[in-house]
Amino acid sequence: MTHNTIVENLKREIENFKIEIKTEKVGKVLELFDGIAKVSGLSDIKSSEMVTFSNGVVGVALNLEEDAVGVIILGDFSKIKEGDEVKATGKILEIPLADSILGRVVNAIGVPIDGKGALKATKAYPIEKVAPGVVTRLSVDQPVATGIKVIDAIIPVGRGQRELIIGDRQTGKTALAIDSILNQKGQNMICVYVSIGQKDSKLRKIEARLEEGGAMKYTVIVSAGASEPAALSYIAPYTGVSIAEYFMDQGKDVLIIYDDLSKHAVAYREISLLLRRPPGREAYPGDVFYLHSRLLERACRRNEKYGGGSITAFPIIETQAGDISAYIPTNVISITDGQIFLETDLFYKGIRPAVNVGSSVSRVGSNAQIKAMKKVAGTLKLDLAQYRELEAFSQFGSDLDEATKKQLERGKRAVEVLKQLQYAPVKTEHQVVTLYALVKGFMDDVPIEKIKEFENELIDYSESHAKVFYKEIIENKMWTDKGEMELKKVIEDFKKSFS
Amino acid sequence: MATLSSNIIAQAIYLASKDKNESEQSDIFKNFIKFLFRKRLFTKASDIISKLEQIVNKEGGRLVVKVASASKLEEKTKIILIHDLKHRYSSKEIVLEEILNTKLLGGVRLEINDEVIDLTLRNRMNKLQTHLNKDL
Repeated sequence: MTHNTIVENLKREIENFKIEIKTEKVGKVLELFDGIAKVSGLSDIKSSEMVTFSNGVVGVALNLEEDAVGVIILGDFSKIKEGDEVKATGKILEIPLADSILGRVVNAIGVPIDGKGALKATKAYPIEKVAPGVVTRLSVDQPVATGIKVIDAIIPVGRGQRELIIGDRQTGKTALAIDSILNQKGQNMICVYVSIGQKDSKLRKIEARLEEGGAMKYTVIVSAGASEPAALSYIAPYTGVSIAEYFMDQGKDVLIIYDDLSKHAVAYREISLLLRRPPGREAYPGDVFYLHSRLLERACRRNEKYGGGSITAFPIIETQAGDISAYIPTNVISITDGQIFLETDLFYKGIRPAVNVGSSVSRVGSNAQIKAMKKVAGTLKLDLAQYRELEAFSQFGSDLDEATKKQLERGKRAVEVLKQLQYAPVKTEHQVVTLYALVKGFMDDVPIEKIKEFENELIDYSESHAKVFYKEIIENKMWTDKGEMELKKVIEDFKKSFS
Repeated sequence: MATLSSNIIAQAIYLASKDKNESEQSDIFKNFIKFLFRKRLFTKASDIISKLEQIVNKEGGRLVVKVASASKLEEKTKIILIHDLKHRYSSKEIVLEEILNTKLLGGVRLEINDEVIDLTLRNRMNKLQTHLNKDL
C-alpha cells in the first residue's frame, strides 16, 4: 500500500465517520477488593449487565444494592483506582464467535490467547442464557463413542447427556476427558474443553497432545488459568457452553468438558464472600446449586424442528480423600445423568482407567448404546458384578467349587480387558469384538498376563479375516447369524495360531 | 433491627422537617444530631446530608447539572443549555455547576446525577480513534 493510498483511506474513513452521542449511565468506583468493585450511581443497571471501566477493562454487575452496585472485574484490576468512571453498556455480557474459533485457545471472555491473531467475529452470543425448554428437546438415544472400553460398555454416554467424572486428584479424570476428545475424530462432533483454575503448564500439555492427535481441528479450548482472577474462572464455563451453543445452533453435536467444577465453585465462593453475600454450608453461597444446575441444564439434545444438534457435557469434580458426600460433589451428582467414579486404590492396583464399576452409573445411557454393544455389555456387567461379590468371599476359603472358580477367572479376565492405556481410544467395532471374545468364553483359557497381547492381536487378525462381521457392525450396528458364525470361526482360528 | 441506610435516614429527616417553621426545623436537626450520636452513625453524616440534598432538589424540581468545559462558558450558551435541560428533564429549576478542564479540548460534558452527555472534542477524538483502529 503506498503512502498516498493510506492517507486517502484514512481521509475517507474520517469523512464517513458518523459519531453517535448518547446519554450514558456513569458510576464511580467507591471501593475496590480483589477483583470486585463497589460502584455508585448506575441507577438503571440490570443484573449481569456488562460495564466498562475507564481503562477499557470489562466488568459484570452482580450485586444490585440500594445505593451501590457490586461489579466483578473481568481482567486486570490492578490499574483501576477509587473514583474511576464506570459506564453501563445496556448489554448482557457476550462473547464474539465465528466458525474460525475451532482450533483456538481463548480466554474466559472469548479473546484468543494463543498468539494466532484476532478472531474475526460474525456473531455475538450472550454468556448467560436460559436452557432450552421441554418442547425443544429430544430424548437421548445416540451414543457418544468415547473410545474407552469400560465407559462405552458399562457406563455408556449418549449425545445430550451430562455425565460427571468424579474422583480424587491424580486418578485420571482429565485423561478420560482428553481421550474422549481424541476419539471424536471423524465422529462428527465438535469439542470444547473448558479449563478452570488449572496450571498453565497442564493446559499447554493438553493442547500439545490434542494437536498431536489431530484433535485441535474440531476443538476449542477455553482457559481461565490459576493465575487469573476468580471472576474469570467463574464465567469460563458459561463462555464454553455459549461456544457449544453456537455450534449446536448450526445443528452440530458438541461435547463440552468442564475441568473442573470444584474449582469453579471455589471461585464463585470467593466472589460471593467478597460481595458480602451470606455464606452457607462450607462457606459456599446459597445459590451454588443453581450455579451448576443452570450451567448443566444447557446441555441437551434438540429435536429437528428446533434445529437439531446436541451438547453433551462431561463436568469433572475433584473429591478430597474419596469423599463423594461433600457439598459440591453431591450437588453435581444430583444434577447430572450419571457419574464415572475414579478411585485411587484401583489406580495404584494398576487398573487404569481406575473406574469403580460398582459406583459408576449412566442414567440414560443404555438407550444410547448400539445394539451389538448392548448385547455383549449385558453379560459383561453380570460377570463383573458376580466377580466383585465372589472376590471378597473367595479370600476366606480356599476350597471353591468349579463354577465359582470359573466365574472368578472370567472376572479377572474382564478386569484385564477393560484396562486401557492413556491416549489409546479403541473403536467401537474393535470393542465389540474384544468383549464378544470375552463374554463368550474364548479368553477363559488364555493366561491373564497374555490377555492384552491376545486382545491386540485378535483385533488385527479379525479385522482382516472377519470382514462380514465388521461390515454389519459399522452399517447396521448389530451382527447377524452369518456374521457371528464368521467371527466365531475367526476367533477359533486365531486361538490356534496364538501361543 | 436492620441497619439503616443513609437514604432512609435522609428521607425521614426530609419528611419530618417538611412544611415546618424555622424553630421547629432547628429542633429537628438537634434531634437528628442526637440520633446520629446515639446510633453511632456520625461517620455517615456527610453521606446522609448529600442524600438529603438530593431529596430536597428532587422534591423542589431543582436539577443540579455539572458542566465541564475547556474554556469558560458564554452567557448565551448557558441560557440555551438551561432551556434545553429544563425541557429534557421537565424540571422547574436548573443549577449549573461549572468545571473548567482544558483536557476536554472543546465542547461540553454534562453530568446530571448518574447520566452523562459527553459532547466534548476529546470524546469525539477517542471514538474516532477506536473506529479507525477497528476498521483499518
